[in-house]
Amino acid sequence: MSETVTSPVIDVHEVSKWYGSVVAVNEVSLQVYPGITGLLGPNGAGKTTLLHLIAGLAGCSDGDVSLLGERVRDNPKLYRRLGFMSEHEAVYGFYTGRQFVEFSAKLHGLTQAGSAINRAIELVGLTNVQDRMLATYSRGMRQRMRLAATLVHDPEVLLLDEPLTGTDPRQRVEFQELMLRLADEGRTILISSHILEEVETVAGRILLMVSGKLAAAGDYRAIRAKLDEQAYEVRLVTSSPRQMAAALVGTDAVDSVSVGSDGDLVVMSRSVAALMKSIPLLAKEHGIRLTRVEPLDDSLESIFSYIVER
Amino acid sequence: MAPVFWLSMRQLGGRVRLSIVVLLAALPVGLAVIVFFTARDDATYEEGFVNVLLDGMLVGGIMPIVTMALATAAFGNEVEDRTLSYLVLKPISRWRIALPKLLASIVIAGPLLIASGIAATIVGLDGGVRESAAVGGALFAGVVTYAAIFTWAGLISTRAIAFALIYVFLWEGLISSFIHGVDYLSVRGYTLAIMHGIDESGLEVLSTRVIGLPSAAVGASAVTVAFFWLAVHRLRKMDVP
Repeated sequence: MSETVTSPVIDVHEVSKWYGSVVAVNEVSLQVYPGITGLLGPNGAGKTTLLHLIAGLAGCSDGDVSLLGERVRDNPKLYRRLGFMSEHEAVYGFYTGRQFVEFSAKLHGLTQAGSAINRAIELVGLTNVQDRMLATYSRGMRQRMRLAATLVHDPEVLLLDEPLTGTDPRQRVEFQELMLRLADEGRTILISSHILEEVETVAGRILLMVSGKLAAAGDYRAIRAKLDEQAYEVRLVTSSPRQMAAALVGTDAVDSVSVGSDGDLVVMSRSVAALMKSIPLLAKEHGIRLTRVEPLDDSLESIFSYIVER
Repeated sequence: MAPVFWLSMRQLGGRVRLSIVVLLAALPVGLAVIVFFTARDDATYEEGFVNVLLDGMLVGGIMPIVTMALATAAFGNEVEDRTLSYLVLKPISRWRIALPKLLASIVIAGPLLIASGIAATIVGLDGGVRESAAVGGALFAGVVTYAAIFTWAGLISTRAIAFALIYVFLWEGLISSFIHGVDYLSVRGYTLAIMHGIDESGLEVLSTRVIGLPSAAVGASAVTVAFFWLAVHRLRKMDVP
């Protein structure tokens, strides 16, 4: 949290990682700043490998990774400032939840271990079951206790690989609230997921990985807008659908217009910004009242599907 | 280092693994009792006991197998179930992870094998303090050396046990039995030499085929240090799953 906002907390520079002839990560460059960043992509896209490279669990075949301005690989001291939660759910089943968090605290050399352990377990809401053996926990509880062990040393940077696996909707909401709280305190959080809704609501920035490459980066709406070759659908509810359709067809921004049985217009465009500008102008020009303008597919899901299918 | 040591003790002290190694360690004692009551009057009894039971069975077979079962699992299980990241993502030097793992294997395998060797010696050779100390001390050196080798092996392959078995039976078992020079590069050779070096008179039967005690001590120490260093190096450079 001592880093300035202008210097990236995580700096990945032209990183590649290959295993034999398989390229897991291919010339990826990215920067991550304080706040929550979502790392999205389908299974096998290279998200986990990239997180492992950032955490120093794996060495780069090419390129460099730095974390908080320091080299990560073979630099154990840096782990005082980093919390990493892997996608693998294995735990030491013979430990109680509290012992598991305590183990992590001891290895981090925490002096006030007791209070740190209490705080971490409280954060994930498992105080009442902390003395049960991990082997008896449900999948979601195990994930949360693993998160507590990741948070026990109060790290500045959090790398979370599919952290919501096995959690129920209520736990997801609690997790999202917790992440937002931690980010508000100035932490840098990188969350990977292949389920878009998990990060859509919390991540200010998205990194989209497909087939080992960084396919897109930025605000998810901005990413969507950049993909101008992808048809973009907007639904219009107007006082005069046919007149509006005729007006729209004559503009460059529109690829096609269809009128649904309910009278709604569905407009397809490859130039979102131009379309959004022209709709109110055309409505005003033709004296048409607009009651609703809504994007049909302006979600991460549609962006994600589109890029994956390319 | 204490948290990693106690974690390793719990991991290696699982009921099934412990039952198997206890059973294996008890075999030489059981066999010593049988041999003592059935063959003690034979002219070659003492020579046969040392060659077959102490060397062939305990030093050549049981000791490496028991140590292998524990030491390959010290890291091998963590690599396989992907819990190694819980250790390596901590702000501690890699040797402080490797050393407690190694120690845990030694602390479990050592007393079992030393007790087995001493009990077999007392029963089979009517051994006194010096003979028992020789067998116990040599087995301890052997366990430490093997533990270092197999701890490293557990880090380099998920099939460490298969490789270790091939090494034990081919190199330590077969080749070192027939080629004398191999004793300078064999844990079995070091163990027998240390055994004989501590009690030359009581274990005279070994005198014709062992290397000198200093060579054995230096060899065992060098192998232990070298493989421990390799394990630490591997921990620093490996891709952790």
